[in-house]
Amino acid sequence: MKIGVLSFAHMHAYSYASQLATLPGVELVVADEEPGRAEEIAGRIAVRVLGTYDDVFEWGPDAVVVTNENAHHRQLVERAAAAGCHVLCEKPIATNLADARAMIEACERAGVRLMTAFPIRFSPAMRSLDEMVKGGTLGQVLACTGTNQGSMPGLNRPWFVDPALSGGGAMIDHTVHVADLLGWMLAVPAVEVYAQSNRICYADEVEVETGGLVAVTFEDGTVATIDCSWNRPTSYPTWGGLTLEMVGTGGTASADAFKQIVAEYSDVVGRASWLPWGADMDRAMVDEFRAAIVEGRQPQPDGEAGYRALEIALGALRSAATGQPVKLPLMPD
Amino acid sequence: MRIGLVGPGNMGSHHARCWLRLGHEVEVHTPIEEDLAEAGEKLQVPTHKSLEALLGRADVVDVCTPTDVHREVVEAAARAKKPVICEKPLGRTVADAEAMVAACREAGVPLHCAQVVRFFPQYGAARAAIEGGRIGRPAVLRLSRQGQRPTQRSWYLDERRSGGVLLDLMIHDLDFARWIGGHVERVFARIRASDDGVPTRAFVILTHASGAISHVQATWGPVGTPFGTTFEFAGDGGLLSYDGFATEPLQVRLTEQEVTTGYLPRISPLEDPYAMELAEFAAAIGGGPQPRVTAEDGVEAVRLAMAAMESNRSGRTVRPQEVTA
Repeated sequence: MKIGVLSFAHMHAYSYASQLATLPGVELVVADEEPGRAEEIAGRIAVRVLGTYDDVFEWGPDAVVVTNENAHHRQLVERAAAAGCHVLCEKPIATNLADARAMIEACERAGVRLMTAFPIRFSPAMRSLDEMVKGGTLGQVLACTGTNQGSMPGLNRPWFVDPALSGGGAMIDHTVHVADLLGWMLAVPAVEVYAQSNRICYADEVEVETGGLVAVTFEDGTVATIDCSWNRPTSYPTWGGLTLEMVGTGGTASADAFKQIVAEYSDVVGRASWLPWGADMDRAMVDEFRAAIVEGRQPQPDGEAGYRALEIALGALRSAATGQPVKLPLMPD
Repeated sequence: MRIGLVGPGNMGSHHARCWLRLGHEVEVHTPIEEDLAEAGEKLQVPTHKSLEALLGRADVVDVCTPTDVHREVVEAAARAKKPVICEKPLGRTVADAEAMVAACREAGVPLHCAQVVRFFPQYGAARAAIEGGRIGRPAVLRLSRQGQRPTQRSWYLDERRSGGVLLDLMIHDLDFARWIGGHVERVFARIRASDDGVPTRAFVILTHASGAISHVQATWGPVGTPFGTTFEFAGDGGLLSYDGFATEPLQVRLTEQEVTTGYLPRISPLEDPYAMELAEFAAAIGGGPQPRVTAEDGVEAVRLAMAAMESNRSGRTVRPQEVTA
């Protein structure tokens, strides 16, 4: 299968490309219209670097990975659909609901598969939690507490903190991962969202929100919160993390997607670090994309999952602006 | 000093033991005769069938009754001109709490509110680090507290008496969030109950005038839920985090594990925050410095819990300064 990675604007592209390059039956090319970034990966893995996205589409890929700036996902996804390519699109799927809907419809019309890149779904701990929820081990799930806190990504990638390209700050970047896990595990629609945000951490570096607390109410009454803050200091031993805890009538369970670490205290590095040793979620995710296309089925999470998670993040941004809860679904803007 | 302790139940018995360990005398009262006899036996202290008799004997009154009775006992102690220590929450309503402060002020006696979390060493260490500027300006605060749900016949489950999970359990962390983040301008709350009507988890999001935001969570979990607390305070210059389970200094797993969970954290008698709290109040009553928590802090904590209750009821956010009932 011929797969092209389009853009290294998002740093996840490096990991996706590295994993795809070692999957059986995958022939990989990469391209980036910003000079230098694609060559960087070529120094690390065996991959062909093409000059432009046009070159990639001319090469005739079966599928593409879209990892450019959030606001430009639509442009590349529509182009891929027109070229008959299946798409793995980085999260958030878009920066507004109209774009997200257009992307889903373009892929449907073209008969290609659209997958949204939510790698945390492939965390073994999250898989087990999902099985417990769906299998009834926790009884009726009543409330969930999710966190996805991290350092501020704009230091190396300035577009992350430019709302015209990213759609917002921490609230658009980090809310969607936990929102997707909740939508997947609870399997009911969200009906209301409340959020508060601030810009205290990294205030000198960015104009967008870096602190955020989100509360989501689901149709069955389940209440969940998401801490989406970019509040890990530069001295923190890792980039951040993601946790999801649930309380049900039958017990509580908590999952940490990045708990499997070795703690390192290095005078050579000059600080403490956490060395991850858990299963590689990115590898499992790109392999689901590959396998689904080979088998002719829809990969999960799909475009609708991307849409639902985006809707919660956009509702959170709106609520943080008004100071009151916002009802879902939102009308596409 | 001779402590007149009203309400020698769960918390009252623990207070009594702390007082005795601190070298004070304790005498107790509860209107429930069998409880009074049992407490006298268990604690080996004098008992009084009437509140007036106890107030007549006491140098200081320690009120550990169910929450809805705090006001009448504190007002009686104030009338008797006795310094008062009152368990948290200070009152069942903001109006009750304010009336208690007014009654003690008019009587010229001190009123101390036992918001004990301020005395827990791990919370104290975090407060000291923040005061020392070690995380910079506080930005996002998280506090959680969980235990198993109260038993069906307990007064804690009766919201009219206890104020439920927000006023009884979460108030600890509402007070602490206010201590770190400062004055609160906006409160949002959601309480999720199970089908039998028992609130299982409450979430509160506070917006502080300082710009900080707080996520406060309290859980009355299913039977078997161990007691535990966590916090995380992130600022623009650093991060503090604590997980009570991860820092348990003695961990035991027995093959036939008894379900031992309670409503109180496990505490070493060598570093009992309840005893530190009572000692600080006793010192203040004896003319020492103002304790780290005031009765007004107790009123504000009740106000935050009542604001959260109103937010949960109305579905809207609430400005706490507008909550007077």
